[in-house]
Amino acid sequence: MNGMLEFRTQGYNGYAVKYSPFFDSRIAVAASANYGLVGNGRLYILGLTANGIQAEKWYDTQDSLYDTAWSEAHENQIAVACGDGSVKLFDVSVPEFPVMSWQEHNREVYAVSWNLVTKDTFASSSWDGTIKVWSPNRPASILTLPTHSCTYSTAFSPHSPSVLSSVTSDSHLRIFDLRTPASASNHLVHLIPIHGPGSTGGISSVGGNRQNFPPAEVLTHDWNKYRDTVIATGGVDTIARTFDIRNPRGGPTTLLEGHQYAIRKLAWSPHLSDVLLTASYDMSCRVWTDGSTTAHPGIIGGAKQLGQMNRHTEFATGVDWCLFGAEGWCASTAWDERLLVWDVRAIMGQG
Amino acid sequence: MSAAQQRLTQVSGHLGGSSSSSGNARAKLLEKHPDDIVVTACLRTAFTKGGKGGFKDTAAADLLVGAFKSLIERSKIDPALVEDIAVGSVLAPGGGATEFRAAALVAGFPVSAAVKSLNRQCSSGLQACVDIANAISSGMIEIGVGAGVESMSSQYGPGAVTEFSELLEAHPESKNCKVPMGVLSEKMAKDRNIPRSIQDAFAASSYQKALKAQQTGLFDEEIAPLTVKYEDPKTEQWSEITVSKDDGIRPGITAESLGKIKPAFAKDGSIHAGNASQISDGAAAVLLMKRSKAEQLGQTILGKYVAASVAGVAPLLMGIGPWAAIPKVFEKTGINKDDVDIFEINEAFASQCCWCANELGIDPKKINPKGGAIAFGHPLGCTGARQVSTLLYELRRTGQKVGVTSMCIGTGMGMAAVWVAE
Repeated sequence: MNGMLEFRTQGYNGYAVKYSPFFDSRIAVAASANYGLVGNGRLYILGLTANGIQAEKWYDTQDSLYDTAWSEAHENQIAVACGDGSVKLFDVSVPEFPVMSWQEHNREVYAVSWNLVTKDTFASSSWDGTIKVWSPNRPASILTLPTHSCTYSTAFSPHSPSVLSSVTSDSHLRIFDLRTPASASNHLVHLIPIHGPGSTGGISSVGGNRQNFPPAEVLTHDWNKYRDTVIATGGVDTIARTFDIRNPRGGPTTLLEGHQYAIRKLAWSPHLSDVLLTASYDMSCRVWTDGSTTAHPGIIGGAKQLGQMNRHTEFATGVDWCLFGAEGWCASTAWDERLLVWDVRAIMGQG
Repeated sequence: MSAAQQRLTQVSGHLGGSSSSSGNARAKLLEKHPDDIVVTACLRTAFTKGGKGGFKDTAAADLLVGAFKSLIERSKIDPALVEDIAVGSVLAPGGGATEFRAAALVAGFPVSAAVKSLNRQCSSGLQACVDIANAISSGMIEIGVGAGVESMSSQYGPGAVTEFSELLEAHPESKNCKVPMGVLSEKMAKDRNIPRSIQDAFAASSYQKALKAQQTGLFDEEIAPLTVKYEDPKTEQWSEITVSKDDGIRPGITAESLGKIKPAFAKDGSIHAGNASQISDGAAAVLLMKRSKAEQLGQTILGKYVAASVAGVAPLLMGIGPWAAIPKVFEKTGINKDDVDIFEINEAFASQCCWCANELGIDPKKINPKGGAIAFGHPLGCTGARQVSTLLYELRRTGQKVGVTSMCIGTGMGMAAVWVAE
């Protein structure tokens, strides 16, 4: 495959990658020494230049870094999720140290996600079983949402400023709506089992083989950028699933099977409403369609793998799509200490 | 564990996936998920001897009323939230469908609570719990009761089996379905070479374990006392008595004392009243719902139901049922015998229970730690629901986690289920 750009995060194993929402040439990588088990973390701010990918800046942290999220309001600010339970905010114009650091989580923070609508808050989720909502301007968190289960991923809805979601080791997708009154349910509006039987929609599945799966840890999820009720999840049972939260009891709409090991990260395309990118412990990154643009209404079908990228040589942990320019550019990072920037159109039909 | 080790364990868990090894399978069983089917109350009446015990003059449905009332009282569940009740019963004419529905109404369930009776012979009580668990996990109901009851005093006898047609009699395997239990167990003991000495030793140990458990109060949690009318056989005087203890448990039973009893089914046989299950009366009930529901209602979670299996075997070898069913449920859950802390295997006959345990290689210390049906009785349809209480309270008391209940089933079947105490 030609046209693949590479950057070595020497001594640091990649955990997450994010394109800047402001500059088409800026990418951040959160990485950790010793596979994130023990030791320092490093946040790389990388520039795509005519001479390849260059490190513009990097920040070292005491403990491992597991995720990062660019500020949607300020082009120089970026949040990170730390192994020591802290959430930090760096400003690219400020050298060496974070401009904010919040120490509230009791265990490893595994995800951060910026509010894409109001852009003034972001959320973090932790192995301590909580999600916290923060404002960059405030010294303490605004809100804490308990999940009572190791929470690997949280995300704000790209369509609503007050809806956020999480996936956890208890095999459930949770949807919170902050507009609901604070009560015993802590804003929880849906609790959807990932492992439930498949969709009841369509003719073929009525009385058909309704598969039940054993519960499995869910590691990642993402909101579809065009259909505001569609969420994709991925995790330990190797299957990527899509859900429509209008029918929370309906089970997954599609099952995308192919990865050999757990799916560590997935992201919907910012350009195409049916296209999904996944990174897995099987070292591959794969591109999928959920079939929603090809199938006839009401009939599930057409969900399939479109291509596979096999250039990583260790667990693939992070993927992100470029928001600018042509529709196929993306970046991936892995435990092989490499960031790869590539075009999914070049791998279509492979695998 | 250091932080680095904890992180490593967490990440290794991601790689386990669905094809996990056994140690991991047990860990998976112990995980708590909002859609787990949990037990928030379980209990039974005492078991009393058929024809002469404290419940000899109490109808099956009345025993059931007692069990239901205690279940509502203990769990403090709003009876209006219970959507379905399944009752296992073997001997009741018409399956007991009519009187069990009536019993639920007497016990305080509103008319909105549905009731069914079912009969899978000696596993009926377990089948009732499994049916309710499946109905909950499929979304048909949210809260249900699995129960079992049998009044062998009033309903045990030759009338319990319909005459076989010529068609059934003409088929070689089919006609075996009505061979009496004692006769076929005798044949199985001979076929499988289970000497009387081993059966008597197993039976004596059941009595001794049960006696010790009764004396130290280990049945007190599972038994709900029940006040009933009782006619004294000598004076013919009626009185009200409260039954709170199994009356089949006797002191002083040893393998030697059992060795003196005459065989019951064949002159040269090995099976007798002392190494077979007792004919008894009793009822048991289990309240089931999803964990999310239990937490919402503030119910105490005693344990969870994990999975069940059913297996068919040759009718004449019905005693080997657990041997067929237990590996099947292991396969479903990914665990093996070493992952299980307690096995409640019904002692229909010492011969079959002993044989199954040996074939499966189960540590004898793990089987029926409070004794079994040989010591305190086997009210047919009730036993499966009774085992849930016996198992969960013992697991909780001893701080253990994983249990299996299983039994052989007349006409050649076995059933098994995995439970986890919390």
